[in-house]
Amino acid sequence: MAAPTRKAAIVGGNRTPFARANSVYARASNQDMLTAAIDGLVARFGLQDQQVGEVAAGAVLKHSRDFNLTREAVLGSRLSAATPAYDVQQACGTGLEAAVLVANKIALGQVESGIAGGVDTASDAPVAVNEDLRRVLMELNRAKTVQQRIKALSGLRPGHLSPSVPSTSEPRTGLSMGEHAAITAAQWEIGRTEQDELALRSHQALAAAYERGFFDDLVTPYLGLARDNNLRPDTSMEKLAKLKPVFGTGADATMTAGNSTPLTDGASAVLLASDEWAAERGLPVLAHLVDAQTAAVDHVHGGEGLLMAPVHAVPVLLARNGLTLQDFDFYEVHEAFASTVLATLKAWEDDAYCKDTLGLDGALGAIDRSKLNVAGSSLAAGHPFAATGGRIVATLAKLLAEAGPGKRGLISICAAGGQGVVAVLES
Amino acid sequence: MTAPSLPRLFLRAALTARGRGGALPGTRLARAGVAVDPARLAAYSAVCGFPLTGELPVTFPHVLAFPLQTALMTERAFPLALPGLVHVRQQISVVRPIGAGEPLDVEVWAERFATHRRGATVDLCAAVSAGGAEVWRGRSTYLARGATAPDGAPETDVDVPVGALDRASARWRVSADAGRRYARVSGDVNPIHLSALSARAFGFPRAIAHGMWVEARALAALSGRLPDAFTVDVAFRKPLLLPSTVELATVRAGGGWDLAVHGSHAGPDHLVGTIRLD
Repeated sequence: MAAPTRKAAIVGGNRTPFARANSVYARASNQDMLTAAIDGLVARFGLQDQQVGEVAAGAVLKHSRDFNLTREAVLGSRLSAATPAYDVQQACGTGLEAAVLVANKIALGQVESGIAGGVDTASDAPVAVNEDLRRVLMELNRAKTVQQRIKALSGLRPGHLSPSVPSTSEPRTGLSMGEHAAITAAQWEIGRTEQDELALRSHQALAAAYERGFFDDLVTPYLGLARDNNLRPDTSMEKLAKLKPVFGTGADATMTAGNSTPLTDGASAVLLASDEWAAERGLPVLAHLVDAQTAAVDHVHGGEGLLMAPVHAVPVLLARNGLTLQDFDFYEVHEAFASTVLATLKAWEDDAYCKDTLGLDGALGAIDRSKLNVAGSSLAAGHPFAATGGRIVATLAKLLAEAGPGKRGLISICAAGGQGVVAVLES
Repeated sequence: MTAPSLPRLFLRAALTARGRGGALPGTRLARAGVAVDPARLAAYSAVCGFPLTGELPVTFPHVLAFPLQTALMTERAFPLALPGLVHVRQQISVVRPIGAGEPLDVEVWAERFATHRRGATVDLCAAVSAGGAEVWRGRSTYLARGATAPDGAPETDVDVPVGALDRASARWRVSADAGRRYARVSGDVNPIHLSALSARAFGFPRAIAHGMWVEARALAALSGRLPDAFTVDVAFRKPLLLPSTVELATVRAGGGWDLAVHGSHAGPDHLVGTIRLD
């Protein structure tokens, strides 16, 4: 018989400062950074040599030899070696999905505590042999006689030696994520200025949060870096306006390096638990994970934008919880690109779109922009794909705890493959 | 002083090997404000299997002290010839974890000239301080075969007793270039580690692994399982010929660990050691 469910508590989080690719973490592996993020969490909550129910984490850019990345990180960490772990991979949704998985097991009483995390490095990315060479090598491996071996090797061509480097392009469309976002930006008529404004606000909000010590118990310095090195506290509309567009064409070329996230390295981890587990150890409960929803869209043939799935997920989540889009004190909409956030908000305000595409009675309406990404988001902090979910969950949980009991926050994260993960947190 | 050049020191040591003798000099060599190069630290960590944590691996300060110790041993007044010295024991005391960004003061000296049944031993010591407080101590015992310690020298102590270690924790396939790889990151370019040919000149059938690499890799295998402060004491036994497949055995003992690296299928011990809380 299933046990009655309970809501998982978010006890706290820890992450490395995020670093632009090929900067300070250029020599650190996914396993190094994930271990560092977990060990920081262990130190913060006194979990040394303790067993937690499970650790779920993942990376988007992951070498096949890291098939057990999270378990290997746990074995190298200060957690008890008896802590089970598994890998999750759902593109940029990985970190939040991992938190949902752990929270669900806590809700069902299958575990009392767990750590959800994510890590990515664009600097130490896996490089594979190209597909032609791989076929020759597999053929060679299957060959049993000398003749077969020679035949297999005769298939080798000089061009086979160029390695296959991972990219952020969509396998089925051949377009990069930026190019996809540019299509959506043009579709929703998102202007350059509003994108730059959003980017500026992200930098200012993140800088202010650091200044007031908000991240003191959320971030542990790593390899000499104490703050996200993509953060530009002194950027301005003038500086952002000078940047040349990198995605889009003609008048629609509005997306720049300033209003798009850079490739980033970093890791994050969040400690979740039952209320009882936290209370027994005298640990705080910042917020509870109330509910979550994933959605996917057909960005290949269906005409929907690649990063629009959260737009579809949120109304389902709202309906199930009897909430409206305005019933939140904080909104954390992942800034993959400034235009993604703006298109998401615009879509929810669009009556025709909400009726025709989302099948709702009408528009979800506008949100109070002063409640959006109040401690900065990915445009300023950077976006190590799988680590972003953990950054946002810990940030929002702390914002809710600061605001007092009964506050509510919404998380919306878009992911490659036309997917999205959204969740509701409450203090 | 700046870090001495190890290849030059090894050459000088070889040229001045003859005619040495007498007592240990009281020389102390020091470098102040040593900064760790992040790229070198990353390369060292990768070769030894340590995670990049922002703290120095337990064995890393040794590679900071080693050039100074080598310089001391090549000085004319040093009584033993460097070529042919065998690293037989290494003790390291970690006072506290050392941040990779901390400027370090390194001081080295030699002491405890002692008799050994096959010659004489000497200890090359190192003290590493940060902000005026000692954070790391190392003691490397070297055996000079056929050498004679001064009259009245004490008996050496190169044995590290360990309990039963009959269960292998890991199997390592140590490649033929392991010595060259560690030489690149540690600076220890002693020819006995670099190639079969250069090792044969010193009487080894093949190149042998650096003892400090074997120790570093064993300690890396215990990442996350060691306290902040401890003493690790290892004895280097049979040389580990390259390439080899060897096994690491670990067991909880005395509040810390006993460990051994031995040939596969209960082969001879290459290293035995203890880790104890201070």
